[in-house]
Amino acid sequence: MSDDLKAVEVTDGGVIADVRPPPGSKPPTDELRRAAESRGNRTLYGDAWYRLRRNKLALGALAWLILLVLAAVSADLWVPQHFGKPNAIDTALIGTSRLLPPSPTHPLGTDDLGRDMFARVIYGARISLTVGALAVLVAVLIGILLGALSGFYTGWLDALIMRFADVFLAFPYILFAILLLSVLPEESRASIVPVVLTIGVLGWPSIARVFRSSILSVKENDYVDAGRALGASDGRLIIRHILPNAIAPILVYATMSIGGAILTEAALSFLGLGIIPDPVRSPNAVSWGRMIDDGRMYLTSNAGIVLWPGIAILTTVLAFTLLGDGVRDALDVKMRD
Amino acid sequence: MADHLLTVDDLKMYFHTRDGVVKAVDGVSYTLDKDETLGVVGESGSGKSVTALTLMGLIQMPPGRVEGGDATFKGRSLITMKEEDLRAIRGNEISMIFQDPMTSLNPVYRIGHQIGESVRIHRGASKAEARARAVELLGLVGIPHPEKRVDDYPHQFSGGMRQRAMIAMALACDPDILIADEPTTALDVTIQAQILELMQEVQRRTRSAIIMITHDLGVIADIADRVLVMYAGKPAEYGTLDEVFSEPLHPYTWGLMDSIPRAGMSEKSALCPIKGQPPSLVHVPSGCTFHPRCPYAKDVCRVKVPPFREVKGSHGASCHFAGQPDFVRGCSLDLEPEAV
Repeated sequence: MSDDLKAVEVTDGGVIADVRPPPGSKPPTDELRRAAESRGNRTLYGDAWYRLRRNKLALGALAWLILLVLAAVSADLWVPQHFGKPNAIDTALIGTSRLLPPSPTHPLGTDDLGRDMFARVIYGARISLTVGALAVLVAVLIGILLGALSGFYTGWLDALIMRFADVFLAFPYILFAILLLSVLPEESRASIVPVVLTIGVLGWPSIARVFRSSILSVKENDYVDAGRALGASDGRLIIRHILPNAIAPILVYATMSIGGAILTEAALSFLGLGIIPDPVRSPNAVSWGRMIDDGRMYLTSNAGIVLWPGIAILTTVLAFTLLGDGVRDALDVKMRD
Repeated sequence: MADHLLTVDDLKMYFHTRDGVVKAVDGVSYTLDKDETLGVVGESGSGKSVTALTLMGLIQMPPGRVEGGDATFKGRSLITMKEEDLRAIRGNEISMIFQDPMTSLNPVYRIGHQIGESVRIHRGASKAEARARAVELLGLVGIPHPEKRVDDYPHQFSGGMRQRAMIAMALACDPDILIADEPTTALDVTIQAQILELMQEVQRRTRSAIIMITHDLGVIADIADRVLVMYAGKPAEYGTLDEVFSEPLHPYTWGLMDSIPRAGMSEKSALCPIKGQPPSLVHVPSGCTFHPRCPYAKDVCRVKVPPFREVKGSHGASCHFAGQPDFVRGCSLDLEPEAV
């Protein structure tokens, strides 16, 4: 199709309107035209992605997180070969000083037991990211279900769910997590399941509240009534008409919550309540919080042991927050241009 | 009584609010047959929309409650029907066109998806069948290049096109009754005329009955076969288009007609608008609800509620004096309504 044809749009009633630029105006550059075409038949989320790509800070955060995920996923393929296993002591160091400064073999040095810090930071990303993502997933699943029921069926069900959420929110979060995890037998803590469930279950009330308020505003829209007038059932209305329009705040909140969940995991691990490496079931389990705990004796002499996992936690949590911010800006309908 | 497609009989829908009982619909009756258009006209808050929404079962209950009367569609009561059965009728046998096309389409779905939704719900059509039906309907409502526009999102449509899409949505299952709730109010005048024309054209093809809700007498004159004038939840006047327009019986109908500017009006013959505001439905005036604004009100109007009376054939009004030979229409500006 020629460009001239493309520039002519049919408006209402079949009247042909000429939307070509007035003569004398600058012809659109290739870049502009490509941008216009790529935004042609855009969806809400296609549009959001378009805007997110223009947010350098969020894009940087996303790149950092992708890098981290790739490193964590592929760790078994390259880390042990070059730097040693995260929980294995470098046998060459036995009998000598174990706290080594950074060197080509140990880029971030070794810790007090002679374990490679770089390997530990990379393997630590596995636990942190998995726990963060899964815990938020648990919270989002519970929160969306209860929030949707609460927002759609106002009345006694709403009151019941929201009071239940209030009770949960009144729980001292960290203390309750400590309590829960400390009564579990040690062997069950070799897996991430207890930590994930604890953080997830404690996190649902905020998600439910955000989603409920989102549902409350979306369900007032005429298209929900129109859907009902088409004969759609309650379930269809919630899932097909309300949910896709109400999910944006949850997307933002969940992205930011992953950072929070990582922090909680680190705090619990620091207190000795996180994942305990089991020689058989989880030989490579490392937690950034646990690393900081291990290193706190050497804070004055060998700050690196605390510093590296600390930087890892800080950059990861910051990246999730920045990404969440970017997602929020990208999804903000008021900013649609 | 002959079997009508839809018979609404003394329907009463009240809302129980903290401030008291709002009688949004209070004793409305009418019948509707195939191929016929009923125009429901009245000011904002006169109960036009609530009447229609009650038929569709789209009123939240509570606070709403049907306090009396019935609505019979093809011999079945829409009022006592189970929600499940009502859902099978909605969008299938009775469908609705909403007032504001800008907000009545879901922004995250393609136009075609939304038009095809009801055939997927009611007829179990596949995605491809629903899409084909959507293309066909978009063509029917006059959207150019329907096979291309079917994949557009609502924000890519103009207001008039969206209303056309809404009409296509309502038509998807060949409904027997099409309820149009002020379908042209949100559109500009030239598009209004196109949409009304389209609805008439659609009716010629599908022979469905239309309930046209509007506050615009011009729209009624264009499209309706019969007219129901509503005031404060009650029927003020009911009759054929001819009857109501050539021999209006109710002072409220007179007032509505005298409020319309006409071409060629001299400066002297000023408009005669109805004075005052519609009453709050929580504190309805005693007697005839229109008496505080009626320039012809007499003592009896303040005390006694005028029942709906048929004056000539089915043409009737809720006014004590309707049809009396000496009760004639005059410009309401000449007569000051009594202080309330």
